[in-house]
Amino acid sequence: MPSTKQRGHGGAGLIACALLALILFPGKASPQAPKKFGDEYAGSETCQTCHEDLFNNLRKSAHTVVDTDARLGWKGHACESCHGPGAEHAGSADATKILNPAKLTAERTDKICLTCHLNTVKQSERVNSSHMKDTVSCVACHTVHANGPAGLVARTAPQINSLCTSCHLDVKAQFAKPFRHKIPENEMTCVDCHNPHGSARQTMLNTFSSNEPGCFKCHGDKRGPFTFEHAPVKYEGCGTCHEPHGSVNARMLNRNEVRFTCLECHSNLPAVGAMATKVGNSSAGTVPPAIHDLRLPRYQNCTVCHQKVHGSYADRFLLR
Amino acid sequence: MPLLAQTPAPAAAAAAPAAAEPAAASPAPSAENWVTGYVEFGYRGLTGVGGSFSTYRSVVDLGSGLKLNDTDFTILDPKHRLFDRIRVRADHWGDDPWSSLHIFAEKRELYKFLVDVRRLSYFNDLTSYADPNLTRGIGLDQQSFDTRRYVGTYRLELFNNHLISPYLEYERDASSGSGVTVFQTSADEFAVPDTTTDSTDIYRGGTHISGRRFHVTLEAGGTVFKSSQNTYTYTSAAGNPGNNPVPVFGQTLDLTSLLDAYGIRGRSVFTRGAFTATPFRWLDVYGNFLYSEPRSTVNYLQYDSGNFLLESQVLFYNSEQYLVASQAKLPHTTGNAGFEIRPLNRIRVLEAWSADRLHNAGSASQNDTLYSGSPSSSNASSMLIADQLQAALASNYSQTDTTVIFDATHNLTLRGGYRYVWGNASDVVLPAQGLPGVINENLRRNVGLFAATYRMGTKMSLTAELEKGDSSGAYFRTSLYNYNKVRGIARYQLLKTLRASADYSVLSNNNPNDGAPYLFFSHQETLALDWTPKGDKLTFDGSYSHCSFHSEISYLNPGTLTTLPSDYREDCHSISGYLNTSIHAPGKAGKEHPVQLSAGGSAVLTSGSNPTTYYQPTARLSVPVTKHVGIFGEWCYYGLGETFYGYDSFRAHLFTGGLRYTR
Repeated sequence: MPSTKQRGHGGAGLIACALLALILFPGKASPQAPKKFGDEYAGSETCQTCHEDLFNNLRKSAHTVVDTDARLGWKGHACESCHGPGAEHAGSADATKILNPAKLTAERTDKICLTCHLNTVKQSERVNSSHMKDTVSCVACHTVHANGPAGLVARTAPQINSLCTSCHLDVKAQFAKPFRHKIPENEMTCVDCHNPHGSARQTMLNTFSSNEPGCFKCHGDKRGPFTFEHAPVKYEGCGTCHEPHGSVNARMLNRNEVRFTCLECHSNLPAVGAMATKVGNSSAGTVPPAIHDLRLPRYQNCTVCHQKVHGSYADRFLLR
Repeated sequence: MPLLAQTPAPAAAAAAPAAAEPAAASPAPSAENWVTGYVEFGYRGLTGVGGSFSTYRSVVDLGSGLKLNDTDFTILDPKHRLFDRIRVRADHWGDDPWSSLHIFAEKRELYKFLVDVRRLSYFNDLTSYADPNLTRGIGLDQQSFDTRRYVGTYRLELFNNHLISPYLEYERDASSGSGVTVFQTSADEFAVPDTTTDSTDIYRGGTHISGRRFHVTLEAGGTVFKSSQNTYTYTSAAGNPGNNPVPVFGQTLDLTSLLDAYGIRGRSVFTRGAFTATPFRWLDVYGNFLYSEPRSTVNYLQYDSGNFLLESQVLFYNSEQYLVASQAKLPHTTGNAGFEIRPLNRIRVLEAWSADRLHNAGSASQNDTLYSGSPSSSNASSMLIADQLQAALASNYSQTDTTVIFDATHNLTLRGGYRYVWGNASDVVLPAQGLPGVINENLRRNVGLFAATYRMGTKMSLTAELEKGDSSGAYFRTSLYNYNKVRGIARYQLLKTLRASADYSVLSNNNPNDGAPYLFFSHQETLALDWTPKGDKLTFDGSYSHCSFHSEISYLNPGTLTTLPSDYREDCHSISGYLNTSIHAPGKAGKEHPVQLSAGGSAVLTSGSNPTTYYQPTARLSVPVTKHVGIFGEWCYYGLGETFYGYDSFRAHLFTGGLRYTR
């Protein structure tokens, strides 16, 4: 059996390292603690006096309810629900006398947003979100002082795709390849496939029918369940063979010819050592030397015969 | 739970001076602008496509004709009767290969209604690679298709922002079309036409239950799936010789008629439960439970005639009847839970557990009857091959993930983590007779994660990430085994008008499996610039990216029975840049509606196992005519080049001109 002796010690070790780091980097007692500028509130209309454009934008956005709905506890104080008490700032007109979330750390900024937005269904996978772990703040995508009824976050395909690719430069480059999902054409958006708030699946992939890969929303014919499954589809997902962001292969495979994709798993060399020891196993897909003469074009395009490559209802070798 | 700036709540509305309360409860627009937005339509012309028209359709597929290019408008009801606002977006309607319509209607605290409709055309017909008939002058993609797909989502959510908010949703995904597929026999394959249809209907309903310190979502639903694939071909002349024109045991194989049909019916139920809670100020808790159980039943029939060979028994036959009845069931359970704990002001600890279990059980009953000789002749004979197959595929996957995030200073955040992944998988096919197929694999992976982010206000940020994995078991030789992932991201505001970004990522994976080791190495470097020398009057964004892949695997040369390495290499250069200018004409109208010119494009050049180039330059000019009306012209060029398969290359110019009405 594979050794599992490393299990369980890493987490404790990291916590110990973090505590050690806390000692080594003492810094200030609380470098991120937001300063509190008095206890007196000024009211949104006082803010409007100097910040009319921001005030008007707020009134057009979804956040206007903070200013109008007494149940939320900030009626008439929407600005100060994020910026804190503003009377001192209003009296002195001193920019340093008001809390500016843009200058806080990502975590502190998020905490302001999550005061109201944490307990929602969108955040139920937050602990699995790489955005959260990478300390990508809410305001990196959501513009709080947005203008117009769309407000707060990009809604149109060009806006969404531009927003995502402004950080994911590598993905943007992949979409320049000829065979791709229609992101550059703005017919799809990144959030059609990914949930930026987190997901139960790898790479924050959206889900279909509760827990299946979101790919099946448009590719329902590949879902099955097949009587004879092609194991990688179920074990490791569509990304085992496909490069959904862009490829020079017409089927968006991760190799430019189908045989390279297939043969990397279906090599004819069995992992004999692994079979003997059951350690280091990874030989699923190995095939014995067979009739396939790969020098002939007839055998080079594997999916000509093995056409039901996602799984078959009728043939164990995925031929029909 | 007040936090940070909100620590001292202002005694709600009571403490606020009455005079400071807003007079209006909503952003009521004036009566004359209750509709705002634009609509743009025009005519697109396509020059004669140079090179392969099939490849052009497979890649671009834009044609000539009148189009509704784009529209986006919002309707606000100042009196808030049936709705507060309706937003409508639609684009590419006409004869385009993809179109979409999006409608969102909302009345605050009463309902939200969403319609999202997409229509897509999938066309794929490329002869480029390994066409077995190319030497005979036949260029045919034996896996081509021309289909239309419709995807629609309709969602109604009631009483949003209330304690209990129920919702209903219906989705439909349907496709139909035709194509070319292959009828496969044991010694030859025959390209034949086929038609396909499939549809999936999804029904779901649930409710959100939201409190200040918790949220629960409960959902249940089901799907109905139908799919058919039919092939019919008949020739009274010479039969279809297939991919193997060489006589086998002295006889030429051919196909004279074929009828095959798939009838697939599926259904599933699924449930979902999700919750978040904040029991204490220093603790957030999360959890999800997801379950689905799709099932399918299938009937397959096939009648074919011609001259065929059953290689395993060296038996020639003239016709065949093949019937299959099969079914499958795949219960799939996913669960995860986690928490975020903040024991100290600068430290967050995230813990997440997740598990995924899927078990597919299938069975198939097969009856294959082979006939040889003419039915009326005395030497006619038949042979029945019957089989019962049981198939089972299982995957049990678990993962635990611990992350500690430490704000070392105001500018520096450190992150460390550890992930342990374990599981097992099996794939078994049990025939009534003959050799069973059995795969059993185990997964064990220890992963260390380290990251540091340094931010200097909004001027600069640097992020470095390292993920190092060490495995003692994986399912496939290409799976992540002993691997390193490194990523670096830098953003720097060089000048007030110039921002630079850089991204570097590396993945190296090594599976030292005895017999067939596997090596994989890839890296990608990207540099991007955003330049705004004159605000929104002149902007430029450009990027350059280089990527490289290398994988190496061993295989057994059947001729010499020696082990040889197989190398795959691919290099890719990608360049993109767009320049946008806005020129304001004199006068108020000119100030509000400037002349806009944008130009740019992208280019990709790959080298390695299949060198390819792809160019997509574009330019667009918009000129206002009146306050509300403008005209535009657009040019696009698409050019694909392939070194080894030059006959697959194409180039095309597209010109579009039209009107834009803005309100």
